[in-house]
Amino acid sequence: MTIKTIALNTFKEAIRDRILYLLFFFAALAMIVSRILALLTVGDRAKIIKDVGLASVSLFGTLMAILIGTGLVYKEIEKRTIFTLISKPMRRYEFLLGKFFGLVLTLFVILLLMSIIFLALVFAYTSAIDWRLLLAVLFVFVELILITAVAILFSSFSTPILSSLFALCFTLIGHFSWSLETLIKKIPAGALKVLAQVAYTILPDLENFNYKTEVVHGLAIPAQTLLYSAAYGILYTVFILMLAVLVFRRRDFI
Amino acid sequence: MGLKLRIDRIPRQKIPGSGIIYIPSGKYLKMATFGFSSLMADLVFIWAIQYFGNVDIPNRLDSFVHVFSIISELDPRYVDPYEVGALISLYDAKNIPLALRILDMGLAKNPDMWIFPLEAGHYAQIYKRDFPLAKEYYKKAMEIPGAPDIAKRLYANASFKAWDIKTAWETWLEVYDTAKEERLRKIASNNLYNIKATVDIRGLRSALEKHRAKYGRYPDRLSDIVRAGLLPYIPQDYDNKDYIYDPKTGEVKTAVIPWKR
Repeated sequence: MTIKTIALNTFKEAIRDRILYLLFFFAALAMIVSRILALLTVGDRAKIIKDVGLASVSLFGTLMAILIGTGLVYKEIEKRTIFTLISKPMRRYEFLLGKFFGLVLTLFVILLLMSIIFLALVFAYTSAIDWRLLLAVLFVFVELILITAVAILFSSFSTPILSSLFALCFTLIGHFSWSLETLIKKIPAGALKVLAQVAYTILPDLENFNYKTEVVHGLAIPAQTLLYSAAYGILYTVFILMLAVLVFRRRDFI
Repeated sequence: MGLKLRIDRIPRQKIPGSGIIYIPSGKYLKMATFGFSSLMADLVFIWAIQYFGNVDIPNRLDSFVHVFSIISELDPRYVDPYEVGALISLYDAKNIPLALRILDMGLAKNPDMWIFPLEAGHYAQIYKRDFPLAKEYYKKAMEIPGAPDIAKRLYANASFKAWDIKTAWETWLEVYDTAKEERLRKIASNNLYNIKATVDIRGLRSALEKHRAKYGRYPDRLSDIVRAGLLPYIPQDYDNKDYIYDPKTGEVKTAVIPWKR
């Protein structure tokens, strides 16, 4: 009940954040500009519109998750409202989870609106609704849930600027870690290879949620792959939230 | 603002496309896209169209393979760059091997796409007049599931032009036996007629020249060649009709034009 209350409150607060509307505006603008960009290509113009649309949803969604998420906990600490909250019969993890679910709900609403604009643009160009695009958006949402958890983790012990930087680095590493696999193959057997393998296993692999290319090209994606990706996202999110709860539990606000 | 306008008026020497030429291969660029490789491929392709379409840029085609291999690495399933790249190689650069190389790249990345070997076969046959090469490409195309039936017919035709008579004959026979439309059966039949006629007439002409070399003249009738022991028998066309023979010139031709049977 407490988590739900905090979540709804966080949602109401986040939905009024100006950053959200600014990013939403730029995302919508990027999608509309893709129609003009498509004129410059030769061949499949719909592909350009789909690629730019999905990239906009992913990029601006990530920025929303990071910029809003990193400020969620810090704002309460800065305004000293945290003291009022923790003095209530509420556990610290309930507060954190409430913030998390509130932002996730906000991202869901924003992503839904962006998807509607995106599908409308694709429909206007192709006279058909490609429902598979929503599969790519769904996994962008799974990725954003994980990034939100990371943003909240960092914001539970650091300032918004540093938290944003850490969360951004996490995202970049997450999209870069697949190349570690290539590097591991080239390293000769030894301590360095083991270290690289451990790093590859621990570091997040956000490419697991990237189905943009497959969806745009109409390639088949095995259901098993989708299930494993979703499970990976959820489990990693739970792990990050547990870490955040541990850190926040020990946090001294004075 | 005034300063900016002033600076813009100062001519500055630029090397067009210099930025992209020094970018490493697509494999490493892909790492730097952070999950947006498909979008990056689109942007590089759009840039490439504007760049290579600008005839005022000197030596613009020097970096052609580099740019298109970048696009290929970023999004291997993106079909348009391979096709457009091959077209630019053919019509702009007048470089058929380059066009074939681009299409080979497309096929290597997309072994399930028949369009690449089909186009390559077309280029090899029409522009390079390399029929054995065209034959190989058409064979690759027709072996890919989902390839159109025309790939087999093109293969048969290229085989004939490459003088692989046995393959051409067998393939046209297969087309005839499996054709679902009368029109296709007619095409196969006409080609079988043409193959038989070409082989028969070659054999007859060779025997006629031997007769002329031996007796100083062409025989009065084709049957004279058999009597002279130069051929075991006189062949007939695919419709079991006799070939038309002109004893004055030694010319042998079919009774009908194959395509008008």
